[in-house]
Amino acid sequence: MDKSKRRFIKGAAVTGGVGLFAAGYSHTLGQIGKGVVNGSSGKITQDPIHGNSLAPEYKVDLQTGQLIGNDEQRIANTMCLGCWTKCGVRARIDQKTDKIIRISGNPYHPLSAREHIDFDTPIKTALVGLSAYQEQGLQGRSTACARGNAMLEQLDSPHRVTQCLKRVGPRGSGQWQSISFEQLLTEVVDGGDLFGEGEVEGLRAIRDISTPLDANNPEYGPKANQLLVSNASDEGRDVIIKRFTFNSFGTRNFANHGAYCGFTYRAGAGALLDDLKKYAHLKPDWDNSEFLLFIGTSPQQSGNPFKRQSRQLANARVDGREFSYVVVSPMLPNTSNQPCAGNNTWLPIRPATDSALAMGMLRWIIDNKRYASAFLTAPNAEAAKAAGFRGFSNASFLIINTPHHPRYGQYLYASDLGLPFEGKAYGEQDSPLVVDAATGQILPAGQCAKAQLEVEQSVNTPKGKLSVKSSFQLLSEAARSVEMADYAKECDISEAQIAALAHKFTSHGTKAAVISHGGTMSANGFYSAWAIMMLNAMIGNLNLKGGAIAKGGTFPAFGAGPRYNLQDFDGMVEPKGVFLSRSKFPYEKTSEYRRKVEAGESPYPSKEPWYPISSPLLGEHLTAAVHGYPYRLKAWINHMGNPIYGQAGLGEAIGEQLKDPKVLPLFISIDSFINETSALSDYIIPDTLTYESWGWSAAWHGTLTKEATGRWPIVEPRVAKTANGDVICMESFLSQVAIKLNLPGFGDNAVKAADGSLHPLTRAADFSLYGAANVAYLGKPVADINAEDMYFSGVGRIQAELNARLKPEEVKKVSYLFARGGRFENIRAGRDEAGNPCKVWPKPLMLWNPEVGSRRNSLSGEYMSGCPRLYQPSLADGTPLKQAFDKSQWPLLISSYKSHTMSSMSIGSDRLRQVHPNNPVRINEQTATRLGINTGDTVKISTPNGSVVALVECVAGVHPDCIAIEHGYGHKELGAREIVIDKVKIAANPLIRVGINMNDLNLFDPSRHGRYPLVDWASGASARQGLPAKIEKIG
Amino acid sequence: MDKSKRQFLGKMASVSVGAALIPVVQVSAQGQSLGNTSNNVSDGQAGKRYGMVIDLRRCVGCQACTVACTIENQPPLGQFRTTVQQYEVSQQDASTPPAFLMLPRLCNHCENPPCISICPTGATFQRKDGIVVVNNEWCVGCGYCVHACPYDARFINHETKSADKCTFCAHRLEAGLLPACVETCVGEARVIGDLNDPNSQISQLLKANQADIKVLKPDANTAPRVFYIGMNRAFEDRINGQAPVRTLLTDTGEEIHHGH
Repeated sequence: MDKSKRRFIKGAAVTGGVGLFAAGYSHTLGQIGKGVVNGSSGKITQDPIHGNSLAPEYKVDLQTGQLIGNDEQRIANTMCLGCWTKCGVRARIDQKTDKIIRISGNPYHPLSAREHIDFDTPIKTALVGLSAYQEQGLQGRSTACARGNAMLEQLDSPHRVTQCLKRVGPRGSGQWQSISFEQLLTEVVDGGDLFGEGEVEGLRAIRDISTPLDANNPEYGPKANQLLVSNASDEGRDVIIKRFTFNSFGTRNFANHGAYCGFTYRAGAGALLDDLKKYAHLKPDWDNSEFLLFIGTSPQQSGNPFKRQSRQLANARVDGREFSYVVVSPMLPNTSNQPCAGNNTWLPIRPATDSALAMGMLRWIIDNKRYASAFLTAPNAEAAKAAGFRGFSNASFLIINTPHHPRYGQYLYASDLGLPFEGKAYGEQDSPLVVDAATGQILPAGQCAKAQLEVEQSVNTPKGKLSVKSSFQLLSEAARSVEMADYAKECDISEAQIAALAHKFTSHGTKAAVISHGGTMSANGFYSAWAIMMLNAMIGNLNLKGGAIAKGGTFPAFGAGPRYNLQDFDGMVEPKGVFLSRSKFPYEKTSEYRRKVEAGESPYPSKEPWYPISSPLLGEHLTAAVHGYPYRLKAWINHMGNPIYGQAGLGEAIGEQLKDPKVLPLFISIDSFINETSALSDYIIPDTLTYESWGWSAAWHGTLTKEATGRWPIVEPRVAKTANGDVICMESFLSQVAIKLNLPGFGDNAVKAADGSLHPLTRAADFSLYGAANVAYLGKPVADINAEDMYFSGVGRIQAELNARLKPEEVKKVSYLFARGGRFENIRAGRDEAGNPCKVWPKPLMLWNPEVGSRRNSLSGEYMSGCPRLYQPSLADGTPLKQAFDKSQWPLLISSYKSHTMSSMSIGSDRLRQVHPNNPVRINEQTATRLGINTGDTVKISTPNGSVVALVECVAGVHPDCIAIEHGYGHKELGAREIVIDKVKIAANPLIRVGINMNDLNLFDPSRHGRYPLVDWASGASARQGLPAKIEKIG
Repeated sequence: MDKSKRQFLGKMASVSVGAALIPVVQVSAQGQSLGNTSNNVSDGQAGKRYGMVIDLRRCVGCQACTVACTIENQPPLGQFRTTVQQYEVSQQDASTPPAFLMLPRLCNHCENPPCISICPTGATFQRKDGIVVVNNEWCVGCGYCVHACPYDARFINHETKSADKCTFCAHRLEAGLLPACVETCVGEARVIGDLNDPNSQISQLLKANQADIKVLKPDANTAPRVFYIGMNRAFEDRINGQAPVRTLLTDTGEEIHHGH
């Protein structure tokens, strides 16, 4: 029978997909009446047929391919910031009004085109390539997503901040006065009785890099650490913020949004890749894989780079090769594609139980010996290469397993056995050891061609016997510590399904891969993500065509570059001390620990958890500052960050305290809009939008070739200017603060060129312009711009700024870059002749990571597992959530998902929001029936410390235990509320308020001492998946 | 029945009644249109026949086309010339999980368009290149075409008070460019081209996927020129009432309009 006939259609559209279809024919009816009475009575359009459609930006003769420009518009290639993918876009700008009228993709940019055009293509040729001439534009299309198309509306939004604001009345009151940039600078630097509420210490007083902030705990560092600087993330302007923060001001405390974005995934991937510094991760080779598994991510819906990977996935579905995928998620994700049903399947899973599935698969693969033995037994790169692989693992490396041994959990080294080694013991040249498969001898990993995989033995060392196990042995034991039936029960996926999935995953050689992301942001997230990513190690797909691949890299703008040294400067400060979030620093090195040991007490638990393997965590920085452990803040400068909206429970936990100047004496925000966090500040400095500012960013991942995205003011910035005529924005503020404080690294002679000359860092554009020159001259310098490229690219408007700072020869090359929106390696450079990626991840995959396995949980004092294992989502003290919150009272689990249309900062766009105006909560229809709830009902959703009122949709595509909430809605600021500036009201837009924010559903960790939102116990990342909850119908 | 459906059906019913009661006196007084052939109105390129293929296997449901169209063509907020609706499709076999179908829709630029014959003023006409357009200077906003269109592709523009719909971005095609929805289509699902040219990509796609080409509402005998690849037969007729005009409900079920 025809497959299609066996299916039946569910019924109504899923209203949540694009907004409820409550029809609005009432207007139409009205018009019918009017039309009959008055004739054609509406507003006159520009053209009777084309209405008010935009005039084309250029014309291309379909016979000759000749391009004729439109002098009333210009086209500019720059960067999008609708989300954090940071695609290259091309904007159309009306010459008369200087407004951006439409945005699409930059054809030179690898994140926007499937196969980006060569970098040396003339701009005019690139434009013809997008047209209908010879239908070139169909293959060559370079796209923007829904957000990317719509973000232009932000430029002239009535809710923008365009001048310096100072609060009037209490923090968060929404009452502001505008002040000059110069007044703001004086007040925040020198302090004083700024608000009639008493003295406030200014930045000058806080900047003390020699006096310890706490004499009893000198490891906390100097007083300067009481300034926190945060940046939402690196949108191409991060380096100058870090320069100011770390190396000029000299505070240790900096953070971005990672802790409430997808840090569990990055940390888990970093643990696998032996990179707990930058937390590298891998992406599948979309164009060549045969089977892909997505657990806790929906690549056709969000993720990074969402647009590129969606396009590649769409292409993979139809390009004729053997290809299929499974997407594991508590809710049916947009990655599901019914027309290709059979080749793609949604596998529903109970929220926050991904690790049970992944560990179950690992166990099945190990039990059934379905792993790539030749890969795992290769203890070094050469041995792996000989076996046909392009990377290796530490599966055979020996780990010290003697309890209470000071080096428990770490590698057994040559130096431990008295074997010859170079350098320092346990240093980089000391060698980890393996057991040779042929001889049973213990050998340095680098000298063994094939090692034994399963090892459990004791070895004699000059200091006595040590018990050792191989990494693989430890992982196997961890996987086998739970029965398959229990894994299945935990994640609600049957044993047979787990086995079938593991079988499928291991049936394509190295042409398969698994990835994850924000779905692992749960209270066991780090180990979940590591377990998921570990599946890649089982098939040895690293660096191989069709497998898991490394990113292509960038042309770094802000290093010690070929033209300007933007990395080092005279007098640069090395920041010292413990991060507020207690990250990257083991508790065992603190004075607190020492004092307890000296007093004969157990050093555990620490007062609050420490996160030895984590990057700085913005949420934990803030809760630390409010609670005063390890210490308090005196000032916070926040650029664009919005943790109050973005982190589950944070607003409810500390929002009120942040309003109290006694808790946080000075709070300065730099932002183009007032978000839920900057609404609480004392001052707001306006900031330039991506279309108005300078910067250099790189793709997070997903391109095989090197790329650097250049952004530049394609329109006149809408913000006010300083007395010196510079644009007021983040760069000008930080530069002028530094100059006023006489800090190193800014001012007239702050930047050294390669020829030894010194250059100023005083204006908003400076740092990025020097960076542009570096990008232009890296390797083989780029060409000079010609007149035709200049005409068709809109870079004419920035020539004066380029000439003011750069040398004439640099201006021509930098113009060439900006005309193309950055610098991009040609696509052919991405792969070798065999189709394997040229860029490889060089380090071993870590089945056991000694850096993790030798650290302890600072509350329990127990070692953290050095390999993935099943941990339940739990409180910081290890109490499982299931136990802490009774299922009879909290029968459901919250799970959030990223929107395919709305990011956390895009709600202000009318043309975007109208497409998907609301985020009704989705629950399973059978669960709904049981609870007497119907689609369209108003419900109250509660978690132990919060509740929201929401509209509900009852659908088949949600796990029965799950309440699924789309992120990006339920804003309280960004225009959702009326504010007053200089006694003038700026009206609220009620449409911005619509929907709910999952992060208003709070769960404070009862095992901690104060109001701390629940985080992953191992990494400190926000836990927003799997929060216990209940739902009640109220209307 | 759920609230949204109830509201929806209520309004549909009133539309039908309302349309039936409109007096036709003034409408017929407009007579036949002659203005559409005058020089200031574009009537397309002779010899071409534009059509579109939408490959649903490629559609990623991202709504880039929807937004690009509304920015390019500037209809009032809340009114759309193209939409992408998202359907949750269940399987009869209860153990198979549901899947999503994303269904982009727009004017089908039919070969046999019911909107033209019903237009009392001749404002709606078909260009030489097959594109069906509305001359808004002739349109009286009677709404007959809105109801005659089996695809809900038309609406009365709140600002111009005349019938409005997709033009395949005729203004861009005339400039040798691609329609907004096509050039920003992330999944490369939308392909526009000349059906009269056997070598065009659209003709080639139609040929290569001959067995899997469908149109919406084939029984309406409209001969649509928007073709779908990968569409389940069950969807051919399941598009009633999902109009290109939207309002939205707040969390407590109240209706809000998009600023008009």
